[in-house]
Amino acid sequence: MWRDALLLVAPFTILYIIFFLYPTARVFELSFTNAPLIGEGSYVGLANYERLMNDPLFMRSVRNTMYFVLLSVIPNTAVGLILALMVVRLKRLRPPVLAAFFLPFMLPVSVVTLIWLWMVDSNYGILQYILTYFNNGRPLAVFRNPDWAMPMVALVTVWWTVGFNMLLFLAGLQGISKEYYEAASLDGATRTQVFRFITWPLLWPITALVLTLQLIAQLKIFDQVYLLTGGGPFNSTIVMLQYVYREAFQQFRGGYASAISVSLFLMIFVLSIVQFLVLRGNRRRA
Amino acid sequence: MRVLKHLALVIIFALVGSSVAQVNVVWWDFLGGGDGVRMKAMIDQFNAEHPDINIVGTTLEWGVPYYTRVQTAIPVGEGPDIMTYHSSRMPLGVPSGIFRPISDDELASVGLSTDDYFPAVVDAVTYDGEFMCVPLDIHSHVLYYNREILDSVGLIGDDGLPTGLDGEENFTEALRLIQAETGVLPFSISTDGGSVWRFVYSLYNQQNPGPLIDGTTVNAGEELARPVQLLADWVAEGLAPENAEYPASIALFTSGQAAMHVNGVWEVPTMVDLAASGDLFDWGAIAYPVFYDEPATWADSHCFGIPNDPRNPISGEKLDAVLTVIAWMNMNSLAWAGAGHIPAYLPVVESEEYQNLEPNATYAVLAETATFDPVSRIAGVASPLYDAIDNYIAPAMNGLLPVDQALEMFKMDLESQF
Repeated sequence: MWRDALLLVAPFTILYIIFFLYPTARVFELSFTNAPLIGEGSYVGLANYERLMNDPLFMRSVRNTMYFVLLSVIPNTAVGLILALMVVRLKRLRPPVLAAFFLPFMLPVSVVTLIWLWMVDSNYGILQYILTYFNNGRPLAVFRNPDWAMPMVALVTVWWTVGFNMLLFLAGLQGISKEYYEAASLDGATRTQVFRFITWPLLWPITALVLTLQLIAQLKIFDQVYLLTGGGPFNSTIVMLQYVYREAFQQFRGGYASAISVSLFLMIFVLSIVQFLVLRGNRRRA
Repeated sequence: MRVLKHLALVIIFALVGSSVAQVNVVWWDFLGGGDGVRMKAMIDQFNAEHPDINIVGTTLEWGVPYYTRVQTAIPVGEGPDIMTYHSSRMPLGVPSGIFRPISDDELASVGLSTDDYFPAVVDAVTYDGEFMCVPLDIHSHVLYYNREILDSVGLIGDDGLPTGLDGEENFTEALRLIQAETGVLPFSISTDGGSVWRFVYSLYNQQNPGPLIDGTTVNAGEELARPVQLLADWVAEGLAPENAEYPASIALFTSGQAAMHVNGVWEVPTMVDLAASGDLFDWGAIAYPVFYDEPATWADSHCFGIPNDPRNPISGEKLDAVLTVIAWMNMNSLAWAGAGHIPAYLPVVESEEYQNLEPNATYAVLAETATFDPVSRIAGVASPLYDAIDNYIAPAMNGLLPVDQALEMFKMDLESQF
């Protein structure tokens, strides 16, 4: 009995240990060394972490990552919810509309960023008809402007991934029993009241799930920044994972890059727990 | 069943046969553009002419992805037999031990000698007296121009080449003239880190200020500020685009919307191919004008390195094949010159065919005025230096920050990376 069970979970467990646990443990181990990209380094204790604390670029990357999370998590959740609330009212039109909103999510990130780079190109981009309005009639290079760069990266991210959140919300909305709505309409509840006292509380588990998934996903922001801005201008978009990439793969400093990775890991870990506690508390009140 | 058996036999014989008769040479390069097409043609020609050697070529993504790949693959014995490299990126690669030094005797065995190359290039690939990478070319930046537009405002001399462009003031006046007379954008430059670096570094060196990176000091003084300010002034005056992605900067020129364009010689194939299909105006390319005291232009060199695999050193037979490939590529680099590059191999440069090859002949002076990237682990293609230009200097060019402040940030960032 036990042996059979072990046998059945063995393939997964082995793969998990080799491809997940072992590399994770190595990252922690490497963060205490001065290892290059390939090969062993010597043990340096907490030197990498001490350097981190005094590294302005690291601090900048932490701030930028948090700024991006702020700009992307709540809008991504809110827009997903609004789209789901609109789509759920459709009948025959639902599949094509759903497909239209979900389509961007199926594109690879490189395609998404290329589309946007073309659309906002300051010489040939179609969106410049709108953007020039914000720049006294001159073309606005959004990814080269420190004020615009990060919000635009967030906008692209929302455009790209909101379809998935919409789908989760839609599933949640369809799971709410029709009887509540019927009872509410008999009592003469307004649409705002229906949303506030029925839809919102009953949808909360899904909302909490979306928020948690979003938080973790957005803390790991890398691809869009790497492809759209490269971290500039004036470091206004450098994020933690990109700093890891630079240190490890451009400068071949495996040890220092591991220390940054561990910091990001701890940040995600702590923030996820805090968020979980906060959201659970909310549900009790509801 | 019988068919399968025969098929299996054929495959086995084919495999055995080829491994006995041929040496496979695994080749990695980063040549993905117009010059990559020409390199593939050269590889095909080599393979056709050498039944005993077979180059198996793979083209990887230019820049950081390529250099990460060689840096990780070679130490674990998964590297190629030949790798292309930029001499400017060697200060980071050589100390990690991924290069196998090439001795004079080995060079001589295939008829090569370090005397066959431009001395400046030989210097750039020699570390502690050891020759690490066999140069293929010198590639530099040039000024592309629309002859019809320049001619219409009297900027073409009797020799058919642009005139009156030397000196910062004159050049700016020429740009103003073009704008006033024709209404087109006078000057197009891509605002990516690489392109801005090459322009700014060229003009920096025209003032003969000494190395930009000296040990752990970045010399971001007045000589560097001057060309950056010049670009910023042009942008502010509308003489250059506020922002242009790399492809857009070329499109501005090739569509006739911009009169002049600075870019690498590697875009020569783009112009040649467009002109061949009748889609381009009368164009030309010249070396950078002298903006300041003396001619100087940024340059880099593509070279061939032999990866150093400590656990499994390259066999004599394989080394012979690799050296044969390298020698052939050098001796046939006239085809490579068709991609705009200047061959590093002097016998080709001195040949009559090359001397008459256009537009290379017009900018042949580049080989003498070439100024290579600072020798530093943070400099070279796809380096932190390029990123820092992208991060601080390009936006300063667009007037988002005063030049001196941007340079201060640039200096601080780079000096923190040693």
